[in-house]
Parts: sequence; structure tokens; C-alpha cells
Amino acid sequence: MGRYLRLLGLFVRTELQFALEYRFNLLLEIMQIVVVSGTSVAAVLILYAYTEVMNGWSLPQMVVLLGVFYMVQGVEELVFQPSFQRFMEHVRQGTLDFVLLKPVSSQFMVSFRHFQTVQTIQVAVGLVITLYGVAQLATVLTVGSAAAFALTLACGFVLIYALLLVLSTLAFWFVRVDNILALFWAFIDAGRFPIDIYPGWLRLTMSTVVPVGIAVTVPAKAIVGLVDLQTLGFVLAATAAAWLFSRAFWKRGLRAYTGASA
Amino acid sequence: MIRIYRALLTNQIQIMSQYRAQMFLYVLFSFIRPIIFLAAWLAVADSQGGQLGAFSRSDLAAYYVVMIFVTHLTTSWDMYEFEYEIRQGALSPKLLRPLHPLHYSIVANVLWKGFTSVAVIPVAVIVAITFEARFTTDAWHVALGSVSLLLGAALQFLFGWVFALVAFWTTRVHAFVTLYQRAGFIFAGQIAPLALLPGPLQAIAYGLPFGYMLGVPADILRGGPDLATALLLMGGQVVWLAVAVVLYRAVWSAGLRQYSAVGA
Repeated sequence: MGRYLRLLGLFVRTELQFALEYRFNLLLEIMQIVVVSGTSVAAVLILYAYTEVMNGWSLPQMVVLLGVFYMVQGVEELVFQPSFQRFMEHVRQGTLDFVLLKPVSSQFMVSFRHFQTVQTIQVAVGLVITLYGVAQLATVLTVGSAAAFALTLACGFVLIYALLLVLSTLAFWFVRVDNILALFWAFIDAGRFPIDIYPGWLRLTMSTVVPVGIAVTVPAKAIVGLVDLQTLGFVLAATAAAWLFSRAFWKRGLRAYTGASA
Repeated sequence: MIRIYRALLTNQIQIMSQYRAQMFLYVLFSFIRPIIFLAAWLAVADSQGGQLGAFSRSDLAAYYVVMIFVTHLTTSWDMYEFEYEIRQGALSPKLLRPLHPLHYSIVANVLWKGFTSVAVIPVAVIVAITFEARFTTDAWHVALGSVSLLLGAALQFLFGWVFALVAFWTTRVHAFVTLYQRAGFIFAGQIAPLALLPGPLQAIAYGLPFGYMLGVPADILRGGPDLATALLLMGGQVVWLAVAVVLYRAVWSAGLRQYSAVGA
């Protein structure tokens, strides 16, 4: 475990050095993150100019949800996306061999090797938005709801990780799967609002096929104490199942890998 | 010119048919966002007894169903492609040909939008049924709206190109494009029909070009405005289009003069 943490630190450090080579570009990227999340908050405020409550969600609750959305998206773009993107290139070019030869878990290597360090800013912006929303909430934050929030948020990260791992693993058979991942990008945008406002088919897609809905909506509900133990148990079980399945699927896929032109 | 365009058409069809699945994939981005904001506005309308200003639930649905089409038919992606061409040096050989690069882009736009509309229509129908859209569109709405849609597409195409041309100076344009697109996110009628933007924002929206790209054609096509208002709004489109043409020409000639291939 200690070795893996050390490796993780090393990866982050080298990626950070890489990002800092292009300082002006980094500045522009930070500006983009701020503009995008700022305009998203503005969009929510425009909606709430007409109402106090939207489908049971008050403005502070919706702000919390938006903050969680940017945290989830930020983490996903911070590590999962760059790593899996590189992994698919490795499969296509046959350079995955070098990754497999390393004396560490190959799943770890393909999942956490690459970072877009600037996305830490997006996670931070999401956190600030969340905290701002929490401060405006009518209900007092209890230890229980804070713990439920942290727990469900962590589950959300794992769920999305498991989905992306499964989708990326398909590359072992189909090589070009970046298209399938693009489907994911298209749907993740819908996570900016609670899943309960969507019509049946979209809600179903977002809670099962693309678990963005769960990853964003459930933590935002948990922080105001709206998630009961039953839901919590269900999310935990689903997360565990997704984790186990993705891991087994990865191992199965790895066996199908033959190297390019082998 | 007709012969040139016929050659370009065949050429583009060949290129496109290589990536059939990919071609349809980007269609998703045309309809996900309108559906998201339709769902959000309906939730708001429900909290107010189903009516928001002049918009009933089914008016909102009609607006966003039309918006799916308008988004699809006016979308522009040239800034990303142009940046890539400049960075990879693919622009230089193009400049040597006796045809302005804009023409390639026009053909690619028309073809992609035409072909992929096949996929957009069923989605729009499903959304219209799911959300019980009610159109108040008269024949003249369709006639004027179609022209307005063309104007909107031309407007977005040219403004997209102006931002693409920034690459002549900066090579990378992503940051500028993001600023441009987020301004459009607020003011173009995506997050709200222009008529539902709160006071000062609405005034700003009618002063900026974004609303004339999406919101105006969408509202005319759903049968929103009366004849006088529709003509007035289309006048705004024409004015902005003229501005866009002048701007494009100026930026193109200035940019071309100081362009040197990357690495030269």
C-alpha cells in the first residue's frame, strides 16, 4: 500500500511539473474552469428567479448539487479521463506491453498513471460552491449527514471509476472505443440537475447506464439528511457490486490482450 | 463554382462515410442540453401552477423541441478544426489552392447537418410526445422561421470562424472559444427562452449576437412572436450578420498577412 501511495505521489509530481511548463496555458485553463462554473451557477439563479422550490429542491440545495457535480466531474477529469485515454492509446499502439511488464498492479497503472493537474482547481471550485450552498441551508449540518455525504460521494467516485474501467476494458476486444466514452461525456452534463426532474427513460439511463445521477444527486440529498439508511445501504451494495464486476471484467479483458500485430 | 462545389460534395461524402458511427455520435450533443433545460423549466413551471409569464408547460416543451433542431442545424465546430490545421501545418497547402478555405467548411457543414438530421427527427418527436409540446406555429411562422434559421446558422458559422481565426495569432483558441460559448450559454436562449431571462439580462441578450443565433429562430418556429416582432427580430439577425461578414473579412486578411506556419 505504501509503495502505491509513493508511486501515486510520483505520478502527480511529474504531471504537475509537466503542466507548469506551460504556465500561460495553465492560467487560461483555470480561467475557463472559473467561467464555466460561474455561468452554471448563473443558470441556476435564473431558474430560481421564478420559484423558491423546484421539484422539492430549494436554491441552497441546488447550489450544493451543482458543487457536487463539479467535484465529481473534476475528479473524473483529473485522473480517470487522462489515464484511460492513454490506456486506449496503449492498446491501439501495442505499447501496453511496457505497462504490463512493470512490477505493480496493471489495473493501478492504467487507472492512475496520468493526471490533468489543473482539474484540482475544478474540484476546489466545486467544493467552494458546495460549502457556500451548505452555509445557506436552512437545516443544520449534523455529523450524521456530513458522514453520509462523504460516504455517498466516495461511492459516486467508485461507481464512475468502475463504469469507465469497464468501458475502457472493451478496448481489448474492439480497440477503438473512444466513441463509447464520448457517450458518457454527453450524458454527464445532465448531472447538473437532480435526476428526479427528468422523464423516465433519461432518469433510468442516468442512474444505471451512466451512474452520474447517483454520483451527484445522492450526496447532495445526503447532506440535508434526505437519504435514509435503506438508500444508503443500496448505494453501498451497488458500489461494491460495480467495483467487483469491473475488476473481474478487467482481468478477463487482460487475458484477451495479445499486443498489437501479435 | 457549381462544378467546384460538386467536387467538394463528393469528396466530403467520401470522407464522412469513413466514420459513419462517429458522425452520429456528435448528434447527442445537439439534444442532451435542450432536454436538460426543458426538464428544469418544467419543474419550475410546476411549482408555479404550470404557467411562467407567457409560457405554459407545453409552450416550453415546444420551444425546446424546436431548440433541438435549431441547435443541431446551427452548431459550428470550425474553431477546433482550424486550430488543429494551423498547429499541424495542414493549413499551408490549403492556402495554396485557388479556393478560399471557407468553402470546404460550408460543404462539410451542410452535409453533416443534412445527414445527421435523420437521427435528430425521431428524438425530437419522442421529446415532443413525452413532454406534450403544443406548437402555435402558423404557415408564415414556418416561412419566416426557416429564413431566420438560415440566418442563425450563418451567424453562428461566421462568428465561429472569427474566433477560429484568432488562432492566426495565438495558435491555441480553446480559452477564447470557451468564453464565447459560455456567453452563448447564458444569452443564446439555451438555459432559458430569451423572454424568460430576468430584466437586465434580457436587455443585454437582445443587444448581443447570441440570441439571434438560437433563441430567435427557435421562438419564431414554435410560433411565439407576432408578425411585427418576428420581422424586427430578423432585422436584428441581418444587422449582426452584416457585422459578422465585415468582421470576418477584416480578421481574415489581417491574420493571413501575419500568418507564418508553426515552426517556420
